[in-house]
Amino acid sequence: MRAIKIQKILLFTILSLGAMVYLGPFIFSVIVSFSDNKNLINQPGQIVNSGWTLRNYIYIWKDLPFATWLFNSVVITACQTVTNVFFSALAGFTFAKLEFRGKNLIFGAMLASLMIPGIILIIPKFLIINEFRMINSYPGLILPGMISVVNIFLMKQFFETMPKDLVQAALIDGCNYFQMFWKVFIPNSKPALAAVAIYTFQGTWNEFMWPLIATNTSEMFTLPVGMASLRYELLTDWPAIMAGTILVSIPTLIIFIIFQRYFIQGVASTGGKE
Amino acid sequence: MATIEIKNLQKTYPNNHYAIKGIDVSIQEGEFVVLVGPSGCGKSTLLRMIAGLEDISGGDLFFNEKLMNSVHPKDRNIAMVFQNYALYPHMTVYDNMAFGLKLKKMLKAEIYQRVTDAAETLGLTEYLDRLPKEMSGGQRQRVAIGRAIVRKPDVFLFDEPLSNLDAKLRVQMRTEIKTLHRKLKNTMVYVTHDQIEAMAMGDKIVILKDGVVHQTDSPINLFRHPKNKFVAGFIGSPAMNFVSGEIVKEEGLYFVAQGMKFSIPPPLQVSMERYLGKRVDMGFRPEYVYDKGLEKERRLSTDVEIEILVVENVGSESYNHFRLNGMDTIYSYRSSSSNAHIPGEKLTVGIDLERLHFFDVETEESIL
Amino acid sequence: MVSGYGLKIKMKRNSSTKKEQQFWAFTFLFFPLMLLAIFVFIPILFSLGISFFNWELMASQQNFLGVNNYIEIFGDKIFYKAMLNTVLYTIGVVPIQTMLALFLAFVMNQKIRGRVFFRTAFYIPAVTSSVVTSIIFVAIYSKEGLLNSILGNFGFAANDWLTNPHTALISIMMLNIWTTSGYFMVSFLAGLQNIPNSLYEAAKLEGASRRQQFWHITVPMVRPVTYFVVVMSLIGCFQVFDQVFVMSDGGPNNATTTMAYYVYQNAFRYFRLGYGAATAIVLAGIIMIVTVIQKKYFPPNPY
Repeated sequence: MRAIKIQKILLFTILSLGAMVYLGPFIFSVIVSFSDNKNLINQPGQIVNSGWTLRNYIYIWKDLPFATWLFNSVVITACQTVTNVFFSALAGFTFAKLEFRGKNLIFGAMLASLMIPGIILIIPKFLIINEFRMINSYPGLILPGMISVVNIFLMKQFFETMPKDLVQAALIDGCNYFQMFWKVFIPNSKPALAAVAIYTFQGTWNEFMWPLIATNTSEMFTLPVGMASLRYELLTDWPAIMAGTILVSIPTLIIFIIFQRYFIQGVASTGGKE
Repeated sequence: MATIEIKNLQKTYPNNHYAIKGIDVSIQEGEFVVLVGPSGCGKSTLLRMIAGLEDISGGDLFFNEKLMNSVHPKDRNIAMVFQNYALYPHMTVYDNMAFGLKLKKMLKAEIYQRVTDAAETLGLTEYLDRLPKEMSGGQRQRVAIGRAIVRKPDVFLFDEPLSNLDAKLRVQMRTEIKTLHRKLKNTMVYVTHDQIEAMAMGDKIVILKDGVVHQTDSPINLFRHPKNKFVAGFIGSPAMNFVSGEIVKEEGLYFVAQGMKFSIPPPLQVSMERYLGKRVDMGFRPEYVYDKGLEKERRLSTDVEIEILVVENVGSESYNHFRLNGMDTIYSYRSSSSNAHIPGEKLTVGIDLERLHFFDVETEESIL
Repeated sequence: MVSGYGLKIKMKRNSSTKKEQQFWAFTFLFFPLMLLAIFVFIPILFSLGISFFNWELMASQQNFLGVNNYIEIFGDKIFYKAMLNTVLYTIGVVPIQTMLALFLAFVMNQKIRGRVFFRTAFYIPAVTSSVVTSIIFVAIYSKEGLLNSILGNFGFAANDWLTNPHTALISIMMLNIWTTSGYFMVSFLAGLQNIPNSLYEAAKLEGASRRQQFWHITVPMVRPVTYFVVVMSLIGCFQVFDQVFVMSDGGPNNATTTMAYYVYQNAFRYFRLGYGAATAIVLAGIIMIVTVIQKKYFPPNPY
């Protein structure tokens, strides 16, 4: 009994220290963001004494195009998440429940494309979007993220777990295949859809490289690109920069905490399915 | 209500594999027809072809003399009950039953009338607001049947609807479906792998194996006059016993095997003539083996000495398993429990000579 | 054809359901496949094409160079430096990250108070924007930053972590381990929860100690997850970009130039798109070779 108790205490101590390491930087960033003194980033203790202020947040919001970036991020993330989830579900359903010519070939090509590292897509994607005259525009930022093979794959796997008899029952009840998808399969896949949606949301909201390349004026930046530009613009105005990082993190954090279950599920379902 | 005519129906898959090899069945109006056979025999495929869920590769399918081959499932006026119920998990019992009618754009009042009527029939009235997951297996299957009833279909199709239920409930639902049939008088086609279920339910039974119909007949005829060895062995429980032997001629024809010698019943004497000196398989049902010490009325075979190996007592009767003269095959013999045997017991039995079946070794056809 | 049944087969005469499915399948897949074609399938081939040109944005015609871009790569000292940095980065991050993730998952899988809190704490860095975490760590790593002040308490001299060529890369590696270990912990946790309890019970009956249970049941049973984690981690590390861009811009003196960063630099700073594409293809080739080797020698399920 005592050995078990000691072990429990030991575990708890390890985990607490770990939590400190994982959360510490964020706590540090929150403290600095409220600081009155631009030079004190080394001694969080002193910051506590040096006085609190909201000035950094007001400055970020009012004097910098932060609100514009936030708006861009919201528009892009919302459009991409909604269309991506819809198309992934539709394609996943098709691959899971319909028979058609070329099915294996198309699916094989999609799986093969997963093996190709994303880095080689960047330059041709840029040239294609440039050819469409969509650089520095919403369509240019949104279109490439409207579909993802991983999501199609996940939705296919989910729909495969639903019985084939459901397809047949729906056919006999007089559904066409779209009604079957929309009225029978979609209402029964909420957990899977939520996991894919949240996964996509997180990826899009945090995406950096593509918006960095596909935008060239500040008013088209997304939050991550805008933040990265602030890092060199504000140099050592750490309190203001930290206020920015906190503002960027809050939406993801809120969504993460509300939908934690689906996040975990999303990671769990992408893992180990090789 | 409808007649169904199946003519030389075939199903092939792209690799030229035949699932259904030219089947003919005709189903009368209001008939309860059971398709039965071991797994992989093509019974479910056949049912799905009737439903329009599988394409027909060859042959014709008629409902009321109308060709149905390329008619969409929803336009065939059929209803189907599935093995795992296939209820829509997100819909209440009411919505599950109403879904097909809504898609047909039927008036709300009419839908309400039909659903509540069906619920009444099936004793589901108080469950109309429940979701499928809140119900037991038996109740779910009732909902699935209700979903079929509200469509007022010409034909009901059942695809192993009872296999997911436990034994007791299965027997109960069997009766309920039969009662429903008597009430609605619809044509019903029912698929099962369980021959007891088939015998209990069917007006007519179609026995399938390897995509071919082996026999179509009433339950009693299947039991009494199986057309071939497969049907003989498939119908009946415990299964028919088979002995391989030879036909010899003395003052009449005799079947000889393992030191046993049975005289061929008079009606078969003529047709057996051509098997003289050849091997045939003889079959006898466990029901027609009698203890020589007790049975005096029937015309029994000569004495067969057996030693009981295992006794399964199922209550009203017991199944006694034994071996014949050092052969590996285990045979069975059904006795009433009042005449219970014990393992190791030696006794003399005889087989009812009126109830012997003989089969051609090559074709496995019944010799009549 | 199968014969012996005397059948005349009227194939495809009336495949209503097949045709119907065909129609719907192509309707449903039209937009998804068009998008995939434009943004995945075509770019894969296109990038190969670009790499043979001296591709310029404004030019009306592109000069064909053949394999000259590739030849240039083999004489490019910065490319070698980038490759070395990337390899070092990967070798440093992948094993530590994987072991840390497995360790955290194992600890988290015990019955312990506050599990949900700890899981959230470890996972938060993974859901946060890489730009945000990078910026926070720039502040922590800076000369007058938090790290130096903590180390100062133990008597260490202050170091400017990101501008010192000896520590810059390691600093970025530490950040990456910190951000993604929580993510992979969740993968492992799911894997651990899928191990049937009966296996542990059987082992206990046979007298296996906790340590033996860990090495003989847990580790082999999570092997498929480990494989997945290592693959994902490898692919991620080989293409590390965001952190380098935000924290060090490849400096000081290319000490943190990774291959992905070098691709970006060539294509979008110097506008040498053809050369950038060629470096990207070499990088992709290396990643694919490494994953193939991994699959061959460390398969997910050797049993």
